[in-house]
Amino acid sequence: MSIEQKLLVVKDLATTFHTPSGPLPAVGGVSFDLNQNETLGIVGESGSGKTVLSRTVMGLQPRANVDVSGSVLLNGFEVVGASEKEKRSIWGLEVAMIFQDPMTSLNPVMRIGKQIDEILRVRLGMDRQAAKARAIELLDLVGISSPEQRYSVFPGELSGGMRQRVVIATALAGSPKLLMADEPTTGLDVTIQAQILNLLEELKERLQMSVVLVTHDLGVVATRTSRIIVMYAGRIVEMGSTRDVFANHRMPYTRALLEGSPKVSNPSHTRLLAIPGRPPNLLNLPKGCSFAPRCSFATDRCREERPELEAASAPGHAFACWNPLPVKDRVPA
Amino acid sequence: MSSSIEVNEMVEEAGVHDRPERKKKLGLLFWICVGWITLNFLAAILANVLPLQSPIFQDYSAVNVGPSLHHLLGTDDLGRDIFSRVVYGSRVSIEVSLGAMLIGFGAGAPLGMLAAYRRGKFDAILSSVMYVFLAFPAIIATIAVLSFWTPRSLFKIIVVIGIASIPLVYRVIRSAAMTVATKDYVVAAKVQGATDRRILMKELLPNVAPIGVSFLLVGIATVVTLEGALAFLGLSVNAPTPSWGNMINESLSRLQLNPWLAVFPSLAMCLFLLCLNFIGDRLRAHFDVSEGKL
Repeated sequence: MSIEQKLLVVKDLATTFHTPSGPLPAVGGVSFDLNQNETLGIVGESGSGKTVLSRTVMGLQPRANVDVSGSVLLNGFEVVGASEKEKRSIWGLEVAMIFQDPMTSLNPVMRIGKQIDEILRVRLGMDRQAAKARAIELLDLVGISSPEQRYSVFPGELSGGMRQRVVIATALAGSPKLLMADEPTTGLDVTIQAQILNLLEELKERLQMSVVLVTHDLGVVATRTSRIIVMYAGRIVEMGSTRDVFANHRMPYTRALLEGSPKVSNPSHTRLLAIPGRPPNLLNLPKGCSFAPRCSFATDRCREERPELEAASAPGHAFACWNPLPVKDRVPA
Repeated sequence: MSSSIEVNEMVEEAGVHDRPERKKKLGLLFWICVGWITLNFLAAILANVLPLQSPIFQDYSAVNVGPSLHHLLGTDDLGRDIFSRVVYGSRVSIEVSLGAMLIGFGAGAPLGMLAAYRRGKFDAILSSVMYVFLAFPAIIATIAVLSFWTPRSLFKIIVVIGIASIPLVYRVIRSAAMTVATKDYVVAAKVQGATDRRILMKELLPNVAPIGVSFLLVGIATVVTLEGALAFLGLSVNAPTPSWGNMINESLSRLQLNPWLAVFPSLAMCLFLLCLNFIGDRLRAHFDVSEGKL
């Protein structure tokens, strides 16, 4: 597939924070791409750099003390190095973002309808009435009943799931081509999680957009993504189609992640396998593979030399490991 | 009526919280305080039109008399009506406090919000400057400046106190805005493509305003005290213009002869401050919506 058809092309992206205790490479050497109308999952433990990665792709960084190198080509727009003003031209219209905690991602003192039609009026130049009509339409689209009445309530009057729907409606207002969802269901309870994820999937099909789903929950990405990126210590350690990653993963970390999530097929009271040890300190990364200290397959080479991503047999499937797990077609988890 | 019940049911069904706590009352005492402050303001504004005796007219047939029907709060040793002087005296307090707060908030609030939003060098430099000013005791600075900046006028007092209050306002607004600026909804507005100006006006300002208002009330109370202290030291408006502070000052030498002279202006100031502080306190409690309810 040629570059032109890719919605998002990320090459050698690195984000380094300058902290008082030295440079902190939160994201390093990350390359991936995303097709139109595709859902990509980014998974990893807390602190693996997935949130920083998604924010860097959006062009959202703190104003100081951060270095970004590499390239993020979003529908032909180079995000890295663009000024705030240039990025404003794509924010909301090309790419939008939904956040982890719907409790804090809506302005508590603004009526929800106003928060949606703000972008319609300011960015799309709609007049008050057209914007209101469209905002009500959007509320309806994300499954909020009696949207005319809800248009003028404050966020405090809605429950978490409803608020996340409103957040999604605000994100969709500018008809973005790419929706970044950073842990969109972490703040919600399980039944609502499924509703929100199904809504996202349905909207993606309906509006022909691409979705990047950032999560630590493999259950979330299992059925809803076409491809998965597994991150560890700011780097991609394995990537590939969802099926390959689940069934034919080669990287021990991916396996550890999979074994750490509960499965319905397990007998009750099965202990979940926790990954021993802690994620590495990014200020002081091990010389070799950053997973080596926690890996039961680690050899001296793992501790000395960092493995680069190498292609596996399946197209698009790659992993970074010196001692990959043997290939065997397991039953998908 | 039935339709509203229907709506309520619908609303509950769809997961909207009913919100009894949001409707909590401010209480009778709050409204009494608001009433008293309003009365003070009205009296200060309308002093000229009200059927009051002149605050500087000296009635030598009634010197140092106690409260009576003719002189509601009595007269001082020059036969001036104390009630009238207390009312006119509130003018100075109110003018100084409002004027000073206008300057303090006019400069301190936008700077505080900007610093909290932009951070970085702008914040670092501005905050250091403000903290240097804060390290200097404001009251001593005002006394020093006012002693040398003669002839004294209401305008000069307002300017000096106003400038002295800028760092205080800056600090309070900056810290309030800082907690707002790191909220997801500010980032969300940003990735919706909102300009910095829009974020400052629509996201930061309304969320900082409740804290700003309660601090404004406390600030007014503080300035009233400060003006009183200055007047007590003879650094406020010149006699014979009455102010609560200089009335208390003048009363001191005649305290044994006529204690009413000290009681009424003190009482007026005390009630005014008490009410303001109470209002500020209740408002802060009222608007202090905890995270869970947001």
